[in-house]
Amino acid sequence: MKKLLMATVAAAAMFSAVPSMAIERGGSLTFARYDDSTLIDPIYADRNPDIWMVTNLYDTLLRTEADGKTVTSGLAESYDVAEDGQSVTLTLRDGIMFSDGTPIEGKDVVFSLTRASDADLSPWAGLLSSIEEVSADGNQITITLNQPDPTIVLMLATFNTAIVSADAFEAASGETDQEKAQSIAIDGFVGSGPFMMKSHQRGTLMQFGANPHYWREGEDGQPLPYMDGINFLVIPDDATRILKLQAGEVDAAEFIPFARVGELEADPNINMELFPSTRIIYSPINTRETRADGSANPLADVKLRQALNYATNKDALVQLVLQGAGKPVSSGLMASTTQLATDNGPIYQYDLDKAKALIAEAGVPDGTELTLTILAGSADDAIILSALQQMWSQIGIDLNVEQVDGPTRGAKNRSGEFDIHTYGWVNDVNDPAQVAGWLGYYPTAKAVGTGWNNEEFNSLYEASNVEMDPAKRAEQYARMQAIYNEAAPLLFMYETPFAVALSADVQGYVQTPLGNNEFASTWIER
Amino acid sequence: MSTISYFLSRLLQIIPTFLIVMVIIFLLVRALPGDPAIAMADAKATAEQLEQIRQRLGLDQPLWVQFGIFVKNVFTGNLGDSILLKAPVTQVIIERLPASGFLTLYAVLFSLLIAGPLAFVAALNRNSWVDTSIRSIFQVGLSTPVFYIGLLLLTFLAARMRWFPVGGYGTTFLEHMYHLLLPALTVALYTSAIIMRNLRSSVIEVVDAEYVQFARAKGLPERIVLGRHVLRNALISTVTLLGLSIGNLMSGTLVTETVFAVPGVGRLMLDAIFARDYPLIQGLTLTFAVLVSIIFLLTDMIQAWLDPRLRVA
Repeated sequence: MKKLLMATVAAAAMFSAVPSMAIERGGSLTFARYDDSTLIDPIYADRNPDIWMVTNLYDTLLRTEADGKTVTSGLAESYDVAEDGQSVTLTLRDGIMFSDGTPIEGKDVVFSLTRASDADLSPWAGLLSSIEEVSADGNQITITLNQPDPTIVLMLATFNTAIVSADAFEAASGETDQEKAQSIAIDGFVGSGPFMMKSHQRGTLMQFGANPHYWREGEDGQPLPYMDGINFLVIPDDATRILKLQAGEVDAAEFIPFARVGELEADPNINMELFPSTRIIYSPINTRETRADGSANPLADVKLRQALNYATNKDALVQLVLQGAGKPVSSGLMASTTQLATDNGPIYQYDLDKAKALIAEAGVPDGTELTLTILAGSADDAIILSALQQMWSQIGIDLNVEQVDGPTRGAKNRSGEFDIHTYGWVNDVNDPAQVAGWLGYYPTAKAVGTGWNNEEFNSLYEASNVEMDPAKRAEQYARMQAIYNEAAPLLFMYETPFAVALSADVQGYVQTPLGNNEFASTWIER
Repeated sequence: MSTISYFLSRLLQIIPTFLIVMVIIFLLVRALPGDPAIAMADAKATAEQLEQIRQRLGLDQPLWVQFGIFVKNVFTGNLGDSILLKAPVTQVIIERLPASGFLTLYAVLFSLLIAGPLAFVAALNRNSWVDTSIRSIFQVGLSTPVFYIGLLLLTFLAARMRWFPVGGYGTTFLEHMYHLLLPALTVALYTSAIIMRNLRSSVIEVVDAEYVQFARAKGLPERIVLGRHVLRNALISTVTLLGLSIGNLMSGTLVTETVFAVPGVGRLMLDAIFARDYPLIQGLTLTFAVLVSIIFLLTDMIQAWLDPRLRVA
């Protein structure tokens, strides 16, 4: 059905796109992070500082291009999805090895995928629930599915299906699988990615070294990575991270506050990168008829929710919070960088007249009080609050505030004890099923806690999860997005890029739309 | 009562303190809204998955069962595994405690070196321009936020002049001294202001006391009057204050640790609370309780040595 081109074609295409700057090998990069990794293992990675590092240490069977959408070859040189959609076969590359020099074989793939789809072990097993059985015959891998799964190919290019060594797990000390994963991470690291874990002092320093047995070739025809290693420093404070870069003590600093982007862009020694991301900032609206305290909930009326969306000037929010480094969402259900996102321009463009008309139709009295729950200590949320207070006072809404910490906000979201609260999301998989399941499909998490339960949306979502025809699936998604935007269970806000500041001599670093830090093709100019 | 038996009886008092802290912290962390499962998988997990995580962490057990396991573990020297860091709590605390301890002692040393001499100078020149200027300068130290002073020092002395590293901790003792100099100074600017004010008023009080006048009347040289009679008596209340400050600093240098990227326990505690990492919060609180008890015990011992009247108390 679908055959892949050889990776060399892709490499050649990339080569022609890059101007004739000669790659320089060697050296190591010092990278300042906002938080430390805890356990970088394909299935135990459950926080972004772990998830976003996995593919540096463990390679996946398939990979996505830098756009995060196009699937290309990885440890498997080709793949084929059966006509009936009930199985996937893959062919492993010849001569590929783990970082300890042992071959990567079929048994490792069987072990890794079985582990990744085991709900008792992996928090991500739900994304692989279609996997019935994985078997290997020489270089041929067969994945048998219990139902057609349009997401399975992209899942094989996602961090949680990365390949670990079955022998290393067999030999590792520890009782449980997690203890074994820990001992592999700490001593005797064996991985399949471009880098190897060399040392890790929790909360301070993590060091990666180049994997001498990595298979993928760079632009110079030699195996990646270009660099000898990476030192990750943990610098939680934003201002200190930037100072560290300005003092030349580190080569890169991630999570630059948007208020500082302009200043760093003007610095000739610094290359300020804004990588497109799948991160969206939005605010769930409680759509239930009554609030948790039993009082009537005016937000149950779709007209009020639409009015609030029209009364919100998203361009102004982008200016205020992101200093312009972002854009209003064009799909309510997902970031525009996600596959199958519809993009007909910004939704709910600021229109005070429409907002006033809708609120009059809804019969919402002037001075109606609503509460916005925000994160205590978040500068962004504080700006959002004061902006919304002003904008919504124009349509007679009196916005109160409630400040809480992250887990409290999460608990309120789950129990429905809120009117509107700030929230954010970054895709872990670029297929839209993950984000659409979270934001819109009621059975997953009550449509991101809003209580919005739309039968047509739910059944479209279920159908799309087994729809193997890409065109039909795209139609289903277009319809779901139209329903969702119309119903406005969220205050639709904006998408933001990942802001990373690099020293001007660092080349080829990429943070993918999913957030993955890609160092394999990074090199340092001397 | 002899000094030794006084010491032992005070040591025994730590045990009930420890038990009370255990009960309070166990209940308090569970009274917070949200739980580790929510904190861990908030925006990703289905209700079922959250339930699975709770089961794995043993949070589905009744409270008294969880408390029983906690108590049993503590008395066998096991503080459990950190949910956030996926590693034993004891190991994590042992890794992080030295940096905070180093920073605290370093800061206290600075505070004494700054506050001690200046307090004396201010007290002996009471209400003169010398006194007023010393007090005003410390007032600035007291009223400027710690993170601001920290960032100023980092911006000018580290990033611009390159005299110091921009944060971090280093690996050897000398590197620690070098890396922690600015953070220690930052903390000391605040602590020394408190100590200075206290020591200054103690000195003023003592200088006018009858026994000091008597010592002078005896014809003792001023050096001995100040050193033996004034200093020793003025220090009594300052030692208490110092003990309290050290206890505070051990767990409370959060802001300094964050700004200067020092891998200490203050920052760890904040991360633990935001992750609702019950085992780590409990382990850290118990560690702080023991440390503070020991510091207070030492404070009392020093006071008893300074002032024999206290030994019978």
